[in-house]
Amino acid sequence: MPNTGKSTFFNRLTGSSSRVGNWPGVTVDLLSARVVLGGQAVEVVDLPGIYDLHGFSDDEQIVRRFLENIQLDLIAVILNATQLDHQLPMALQFCQLGMKPVILINMIDEADQLGIRIDVETLARDVRCPVVLLSARHGTGMNEVRAALTTGIQNSTPVSLDRLRSTLHADDQLVEHAEALVKKSVIAPSRLVRKMTERIDRVLLHPWLGLPLFLLAMFLVFQAVYTLGAPIQDAVAWLLDGFRSWALVPLKGILPATLYGFLVEGLYDGIGTVASFVPVIILFFFFMAMVEDSGYLARAAFLTDALMARLGLDGRGFVMLLMGFGCNVPALMGTRVMRSRSLRLLSMLVIPFSLCSARLQVFIFIATAMFTPQQAPLILFFLYLVSFAAAFLTALIFGRRLKSDEPFVLELPPYRLPVARQVLMRGWHEVHHFLRRASTFIITGVVLVWLLTHYPNASTPGGAGTYASMLGQWLNPVLQPIGISPDMSIVLLFGFVAKEIVIGAMVAMTGLGGSALTGYLHTQMDSVQAISFMLFVLLYTPCLSTLATQRSESRSWKFAGYSTAWSLFLAWTVSYGFYQGGRLLGY
Amino acid sequence: MPELTPTLRTLSCLRKGECAFITGIHAPDSTRSRLQAMGLRTGREAEVIRCPRIGPMQIRVGNIHLIMRRCDAARVSISS
Repeated sequence: MPNTGKSTFFNRLTGSSSRVGNWPGVTVDLLSARVVLGGQAVEVVDLPGIYDLHGFSDDEQIVRRFLENIQLDLIAVILNATQLDHQLPMALQFCQLGMKPVILINMIDEADQLGIRIDVETLARDVRCPVVLLSARHGTGMNEVRAALTTGIQNSTPVSLDRLRSTLHADDQLVEHAEALVKKSVIAPSRLVRKMTERIDRVLLHPWLGLPLFLLAMFLVFQAVYTLGAPIQDAVAWLLDGFRSWALVPLKGILPATLYGFLVEGLYDGIGTVASFVPVIILFFFFMAMVEDSGYLARAAFLTDALMARLGLDGRGFVMLLMGFGCNVPALMGTRVMRSRSLRLLSMLVIPFSLCSARLQVFIFIATAMFTPQQAPLILFFLYLVSFAAAFLTALIFGRRLKSDEPFVLELPPYRLPVARQVLMRGWHEVHHFLRRASTFIITGVVLVWLLTHYPNASTPGGAGTYASMLGQWLNPVLQPIGISPDMSIVLLFGFVAKEIVIGAMVAMTGLGGSALTGYLHTQMDSVQAISFMLFVLLYTPCLSTLATQRSESRSWKFAGYSTAWSLFLAWTVSYGFYQGGRLLGY
Repeated sequence: MPELTPTLRTLSCLRKGECAFITGIHAPDSTRSRLQAMGLRTGREAEVIRCPRIGPMQIRVGNIHLIMRRCDAARVSISS
């Protein structure tokens, strides 16, 4: 079930040995790990949290497909001790199917605090299944859990998959049965009061203060990430640079020139620039995990839903959009909390328009090079506005096609202090998953760009005689009307791999740096062209990592393709409108 | 003889602090299933915790607190 500490429990049980994999008959990847239980190696699979085995959401269908296709030795159901009356029916659904689940009642620490007492023996006797109380957060009860799981596996009688398929039908009788059982075995105060949570919500969900506080919180998150991230980034860049000069440059004389150029200047440098941004991405993953685990995400959704509903998105989508301003990748992966696929897709279509930190880097450089210190901040603010506008416009246009039928009902959980270990593990896990997915994309992109800028004849990378410069000339009819010179077109090519590379690419292409590079920019563009260029960079495509994540999260090349096509179209149209309009007005 | 359908009172009619018992959910199967799974079942008592002029409502059912849009709350009929 969602919000029962299932992942905390999974991590406790399996340690860090989990991996994500594909299962036959199931359309998404599932987390699984090998554990030793009772001397035997056991594969434990983490199924999506669901409220109702017979429900209609994506997660519930995934679980049913899994059960119908995979012969299981045991099902363990994890419930929240403070909400047994709501949650026990779901566990009983497994009994009905002939499977004997092990019922794990988690968060027993919270139940104790609220004065709830559970008579485990009576409940276990009545449901005819093993019942174990535990607190995954604090680790209590884990020995009993392992024992119950071991016994469960040893005594398991497999259920015929065909019988399962025919029996998976809804059943309302279970609810009354469960209510009677709970009445018999669970003693709880008639209404639980969540004092602390209510007090905090009075402030955070305040009709006037709520939204500004939310924006402040987001701002602080960004500040924290950059303050922490910048030194780490510098350190990583320093390490990569050091390794380069110490181990790789000496190879210059030994390796053939082309191979050296490819390996060091192409592969190593290219990947290195992207890699130096990984610390920032990791930090954003951690903060996303904290926002979710603490319960604040639900509050943010509450505050922003009014606006989002008009656009066909929901409150959580807005939080993802904001996260995207740090880095699109964790924001895209964060859309997993949305159960409805069409809502998820719409959010994933919108998030790449967020002005991420990599793009900001490029804009700061160009804005300070091309405009006065008074104008530059205004230009940046304008770009942020365009970013929001593009996101909202996309939502408006595609919201109709990607309409979600699901009602927007979200649980507002009590506030929880995120456990550091869990946040770190989850953050690490997501990063690992992302790196594995994105690395093929990134390496391919880097190699491709290097090849294009060094063949067939290269005086300077991307100079005359290379495929890249030919490409620049070839694209000229399309890019000239929006004020982008052929040299800058090649820079755009680099920007496709990662926006962080853009400035480095200009350095590589021209051999200039610092103020000389500023001078070079002035020869390539004037004020109107500069803004048009920045608008194009903002919208045309996100980086390869984002594209890779879009594809893997949507499981559809088609979707990633559509998203890219729309981005290119919007970018060109906006730049065209701005550039031509600017020229018409006499600038 | 034509049947008169009395206008139903729904969750969206309630104000902050008000309680009522749920008498039914009027929605297509998938929506009803979801609302029920979240705890909105016939016979349960619902209390409105927050009800801003714009935006979703906060509703308590049993020990669970939910955020619901008004249009979805309008599908849950209540008794006075």
